[in-house]
Amino acid sequence: MNLQYSGVEQIPVRRDVVWAFISDPANIAACMPDVISSEVADSRTFDVVVQVAVGPVRGRFKFHVVLDPQPGESRMNMKISGGGLGSVVDLLAGADVAETPAGTELVWQGTATMRGPVAAVGGRVIDAQAKRVITTTFENVKARLVAAHPAVPSG
Amino acid sequence: MSTTIEPQSEKHAMGVRMKRKEDPRFLQGRGRYVDDIVLPRMLHLSIVHSPYPHARVVKIDKTAALASPGVVAVLTGEDLAAHGLAWIPTFHGYDKQMVLAVGKVLYQYQEVAGVIATSREAAVDGAELVDVEYEPLEPLVSPFEAMKDENVIREDREAKTNHIYHWEVGKREQADAALASSDVHVQQRVYFQRCHPAPLEPCGGIADMDGATGRLTLYMTSQAPHAHRTVVSLVTGIPEDKIHVISPDIGGGFGNKVPVYAGYVVAAAASVVLGVPVKWIETRTENLTTTGFARDYHMDVEIGATKEGKVTALKVKTVADHGAFDAAADPTKYPAGLFGIVTGAYDFPTAFTELDAYFTNKAPGGIAYRCSFRVTEASYAIERGMDILARKIGLDAAELRKKNFIGKEQFPYPSPLGFVYDSGDYATTLNKALDTIGYAELRREQAEKRARGELMGIGISTFTEVVGAGPSKHFDIMGIKMFDSAEIRVHPTGSAILRAGTKSQGQGHETTWAQIAAEELGLDPQNIMVEEGDTDTAPYGLGTYASRSTPVAGAAIAMASRKIREKAKKIAAHLLEASEDDVEWADYKFRVKGVPDNAVTMQQVAFAAYTNPAPDTEPGLEAAYYYDPPNLTFPYGAYVAVVDVDKETGFVKVRRFLAIDDCGTVINPMVVEGQIHGGLTEGFAIAFMQEIRYDESGNHLNTNFTEYLVPTSLETPGWETGNTITPSPHHPIGAKGVGESPNVGSPAAFVNAVMDALAPLGVTHVDMPLTREKVWRAIREAEAAKANGVPA
Repeated sequence: MNLQYSGVEQIPVRRDVVWAFISDPANIAACMPDVISSEVADSRTFDVVVQVAVGPVRGRFKFHVVLDPQPGESRMNMKISGGGLGSVVDLLAGADVAETPAGTELVWQGTATMRGPVAAVGGRVIDAQAKRVITTTFENVKARLVAAHPAVPSG
Repeated sequence: MSTTIEPQSEKHAMGVRMKRKEDPRFLQGRGRYVDDIVLPRMLHLSIVHSPYPHARVVKIDKTAALASPGVVAVLTGEDLAAHGLAWIPTFHGYDKQMVLAVGKVLYQYQEVAGVIATSREAAVDGAELVDVEYEPLEPLVSPFEAMKDENVIREDREAKTNHIYHWEVGKREQADAALASSDVHVQQRVYFQRCHPAPLEPCGGIADMDGATGRLTLYMTSQAPHAHRTVVSLVTGIPEDKIHVISPDIGGGFGNKVPVYAGYVVAAAASVVLGVPVKWIETRTENLTTTGFARDYHMDVEIGATKEGKVTALKVKTVADHGAFDAAADPTKYPAGLFGIVTGAYDFPTAFTELDAYFTNKAPGGIAYRCSFRVTEASYAIERGMDILARKIGLDAAELRKKNFIGKEQFPYPSPLGFVYDSGDYATTLNKALDTIGYAELRREQAEKRARGELMGIGISTFTEVVGAGPSKHFDIMGIKMFDSAEIRVHPTGSAILRAGTKSQGQGHETTWAQIAAEELGLDPQNIMVEEGDTDTAPYGLGTYASRSTPVAGAAIAMASRKIREKAKKIAAHLLEASEDDVEWADYKFRVKGVPDNAVTMQQVAFAAYTNPAPDTEPGLEAAYYYDPPNLTFPYGAYVAVVDVDKETGFVKVRRFLAIDDCGTVINPMVVEGQIHGGLTEGFAIAFMQEIRYDESGNHLNTNFTEYLVPTSLETPGWETGNTITPSPHHPIGAKGVGESPNVGSPAAFVNAVMDALAPLGVTHVDMPLTREKVWRAIREAEAAKANGVPA
């Protein structure tokens, strides 16, 4: 089962600050919802254990996350792979990071491939859950950045 | 409204509505199922399954699992390979299947490793920790893609193709010519979807290797305990006398518990290695995703006819999806089972059918769900085809059938596809159904409703089955002839024990087997204990599936009883002080001919057999019989469904359903009614709810009962039943078997009814399951087509 996601997030923080934030595995791990534990392996990879509740599939999933910043600091790709309870989830995501007058715009897309019991739960249930995870992650990114950088410098 | 099946006589035990002897045990929760058995020092097995439908197994790391509390061992395919157990033959005999994955996985949920632990929970936790590295491969989900051979999935086979076999029967050229010259020609592809029997009790077993005796005891949910003992012996090399299979109470089988599954083999291997009992009990998801599915036939049906509606030819071309292994447990000479019954109850001058089977990345199986051997698919194809023909010609569906029935005077009837039908009176049975349900009145009501724009449908299915496999000259499974057996021992006080090679999974053998013997011997059926499922005590038989128990083992019971009666007659003559020639069996007693009061009962004879046997007569009173049937049996029926379809929502309300069955001699009308009620409910589920689906990535989408629906009493319609009796001329008591008839005959009746309801809209065919959404879409598309001026 393949599911496609996309969205746009406006963050009133300077682009270089946003880029630095999303390039740090510890920050991304901290922004993901339902995280039980995380362990940063190096500057580009980390592992997380998350609590999953999708229909009858309830338990802990383990994911390995690899950040793949593209040259020019204008796009961050991310590969998430893992699963649990007999299910496998692979997520290939990417965000274009662009400067705007109001700060930074993240235009993101993702393709999730699901196998095993989680794929049998039904598209609408999974879709809602996956959207919640992605949306919450970006909302958390924005919230943390805004909290740390409350004002957008002019010019 | 409800009618009942009539007893055919006032006999002693046969045809009596006797309550099931096994029910007090079940109703009081005293049944003993595999999972009820707890043995000292018993360990538990949990299976690790593949999340990928097609992948290479790169590495299996057991380290974390072995460190998990309670885990004793982890077995992989490589471990089994060291003992020659990585692959086992399928029951069909032409293919083999992996026990645990070796090199590749070929379908999602395929068994990859087994974790043995001190508790079930510890085993499940350990299984979570087995780290399997896969290299995903492109999955092959459709048999129509498989036939291109661009992605050949079975690297272990010499033939580099996904094609498994081609099978055909009949006269192709003759059928083609007849179709070409027919006044009327209809053609329709019908898909009988992949579904699953989903017995309430999943599969399971306990393997107990006794290190002291070298004897392996296997408690199994087995529909065929003796066949399983033989397979285990052949695969493991353990002498058959050192294997003891016990099949305790079983909570439904429907063919799902015929094959040998990985859990049995891994539990046995683990018990042999560890020297303690190992239990394996499936989860619901494991049952739905890995064990024997049913159907998955794509059938192109062509019928030719005269403009008056007399059929001239039938041709059916089928593409079969067998999944990753050819594990369809068909008799050796019948790769497509008994699909040749596809000419049904109709007198086709000529016919031809062919079938090609393919491997795909799906679970293996194909022979299950109360269908005999592909008889359900065949019945559905012809019954849909006849309805479509009736509509094309403009004939009433019942009239078209009557016009084409094989006449009762034509029996024994050689069908154009090779069977010799034993007996039947199809017109009488259909007429009884039409009269009982008030067909003419229903058609009048339908006309009125159609005039008001309401959608009401009446569907007919006049199917015939072919069951009772089978005659040894044609039927074997892995070389073992498909006879069956019975052994009866009459005790001194006139009670008895009866053992058979079959195995009830809910069919009521403890009652009906006793009734057959009681009828033949003049004993009380309540005092005949029936025992099955223990290979140490029961005579060898091929088990219970495909409606074969009554046609084969039921006959063996009658014949064993008659052997006892022959011996008893000698003892009776001795007691009556008469010549044996002067003694006759009448009114359930031995009596001197012409002197009816000078008689002895079988109980008196039994006592004498142990206390006062006749001179030169061996003491005791017992016999065994291995019955090799001379032909198959052909039970049949006429079913009528009445539905109302909500045009706005697509909801189908089954208002009435009448099943008139003819299974020959009826042993116990109440048991037959129970069988029919159960089978109709399954047929209803198949027609409206059930399908095992895979997405384009090979994900199994129906892994539990929220996604694979089993109807409850709330959804299930009320069933009306009745019968006619046309005994089988070659069966000792004239019985034909009935367990599978309702599942075979009913799907077509339901679909025909819905299509009849949708006929005014121009809808010809919709594949099952007829979910609300599918029916709604069919209505909307038909309305849109009409609005756009597309002719119906």
